[in-house]
Amino acid sequence: MPTAIKESSPPHWLARILAVAVLAALALYIASSAKPSTLGNITEACTLAVAAVALNLLLGFNGQISIGHSTFAGLAAFTAGYSVNFWRWNPYVSLAVGLVLCFVLGLALGLPALRLKGPYLALVTLAVAFVWPTIAAKFLDKKVKASTLKGTKLQPPTWTGLTNSRPDRAVFLYWLAVVILVLAYVIVRNLRKSRIGRALVAVRDNETAAAVMGVNLKFTKTVTFGISAAIAGASGWLTAARLDRLDENSFTILNSIKYLLALFLGGAATLAGPIVGAFVYYFVDDYLKTHAPTWHWLPGPISKGPVASFLLGTIVIIFVFIAPFGLVGFIKDQVRRVFVVTPRPLKQAVASPELIEHTSDATAAESSAQD
Amino acid sequence: MGQLLQYILNGLAKGSIYSLIALGLVVIYRGTGHLNFAQGEMALFATFGAWWIHDHGVPLLFAITLAAALAFVGGGVIEFGLIRPAGKKSPFAVVVVTIGLFQALNSLSGLLFQGAGTGLPFGTLFPNKPNDFFRLPGDAIWRYENVGVLASVLAITGILFALFQKTKVGLAMRMVANNPDSAKLSGVSTTRILMLSWGISALIGAIGGALVAGINTNVNLATMFGVFLLASAAATLGGLDSPLGAVVGGLSLGVVESLVSNYPKDWWASSYVGADTSVAVAFLIILVVLLVRPAGLFGSSRVERV
Repeated sequence: MPTAIKESSPPHWLARILAVAVLAALALYIASSAKPSTLGNITEACTLAVAAVALNLLLGFNGQISIGHSTFAGLAAFTAGYSVNFWRWNPYVSLAVGLVLCFVLGLALGLPALRLKGPYLALVTLAVAFVWPTIAAKFLDKKVKASTLKGTKLQPPTWTGLTNSRPDRAVFLYWLAVVILVLAYVIVRNLRKSRIGRALVAVRDNETAAAVMGVNLKFTKTVTFGISAAIAGASGWLTAARLDRLDENSFTILNSIKYLLALFLGGAATLAGPIVGAFVYYFVDDYLKTHAPTWHWLPGPISKGPVASFLLGTIVIIFVFIAPFGLVGFIKDQVRRVFVVTPRPLKQAVASPELIEHTSDATAAESSAQD
Repeated sequence: MGQLLQYILNGLAKGSIYSLIALGLVVIYRGTGHLNFAQGEMALFATFGAWWIHDHGVPLLFAITLAAALAFVGGGVIEFGLIRPAGKKSPFAVVVVTIGLFQALNSLSGLLFQGAGTGLPFGTLFPNKPNDFFRLPGDAIWRYENVGVLASVLAITGILFALFQKTKVGLAMRMVANNPDSAKLSGVSTTRILMLSWGISALIGAIGGALVAGINTNVNLATMFGVFLLASAAATLGGLDSPLGAVVGGLSLGVVESLVSNYPKDWWASSYVGADTSVAVAFLIILVVLLVRPAGLFGSSRVERV
């Protein structure tokens, strides 16, 4: 019998604060002790995590599948690269403008989503992801495509005490990525826990029923698409901030597939899932890419091939059967055997006294019927 | 005029391959209502299989036939072993499985076949020397290879339509597509039909993959990305549950792509319309069609009930 903890009771708050404190301490510890290359890896994992968080909002909570999120990342990355290098914009302004552009493009893509159901929508986003590199190749010349926020364009502010040397820059980009990831997480979390979040899930579970209950389908679906696109754009901006060069092949359909696999690995429709998934995906991939070629026990040329992506693809398939809500879902299930958080009781003040009595009778009868 | 005919003929050959892969998508969609994102990669794996068999001294035609037969079995196994158990969990789980399969099959090809990343030489079934063509009026030429591809695709499509319309199995397949529950009640083994659908889909995918590789005279890990994309667009255009739509969609997409690629340089907006944006223009047309007819040209729209 698991121990019940009331939501927002002191022990629950204690657990929450402890979790946040441990994560913050971990982030600080990594920033102070890790090598620049490790920090670079973590930054990259955070970049992937931001995109996965964006996709989780759309796919996990709203049930709209998008294979086009690489397009949004690409749009924000090229916007930043172009405006900072050729119009001398402030990089943060370029981030804001990139997010707005992504939001608008997301809304525009959300519009066909109103008429198209399930697979048709997936195919439209697939098409967008496929067309994007050809458009980027056509309309951006070589100089533009290669331009990113490298070097002096995105410097650590003076109050941080960091210089523009390579190790300091790595620390700065790491914190930038962590802050953006935390912001993305908080935005998605708060959306999910609010009235809008319940509307999103209602639309996912049964569109027609949600509409009957008074959810504005058009608004919900398009705006979710827009917000998700904007968050994916933040991931693209981070890519532009970190890398030395980009080109039209930096944001292809394979990136979209990577976002999806990271999300599934961690657990779609769980808040922490995309982040856990992205870190696991990135570091497993990174480890196998460097170590698999030295595994001589593998027969023939296999160890030289894409061992990592094969394993990750296979793991995602296996997870469908053994852990349908990913790593996070699996961990949650284990924790639930020990602790259960019971939700706050609903406020009943709005109804008249007789009605409350009647409802509680009905609930009692229902629960006894279930027993 | 001759030039226009020329472009249309070139487009038809490419489009016929799109319609073949699109047919594979439609066969699966009609059976289970799932979109198989791994369709292209299943075809790719089978094409590498054909290359491997051919590499061991088997004539190409037999190698492709054998690979297609193995793909038929493999498609059934995938349905039985992965898709069906996942479908019992949720429709979403099937999407995850097909996306996982996409990556797993692509990288498995890279693991098993050395040199797959850069490309392996693939023979063609049809004569493709520079002067292998028919002369048509107006200086147009029709290459034997294009004739061969178009003819074989049309033959396969014909056989499939005969299978759907004239045989008992085809009737059962149409029943399952129309209403799985009443099909089951009338004694149709839906499980067997679904395995068969996946098998057929994998089989025609394998043939399509071999035809693409033959035209490119090369097969590499990225060969099927573009083909799958255009095939899925063709299926969307025609309507995901309509085999006729897949064929019409595929052929017209091929023609549109070819015409846009050869858009005259001195015409209006020619800096935006050309070989490098042909795919974008084709997708734009499809998007417009979908906004007018959300279920595609020949697709049937369903009524939602709560």
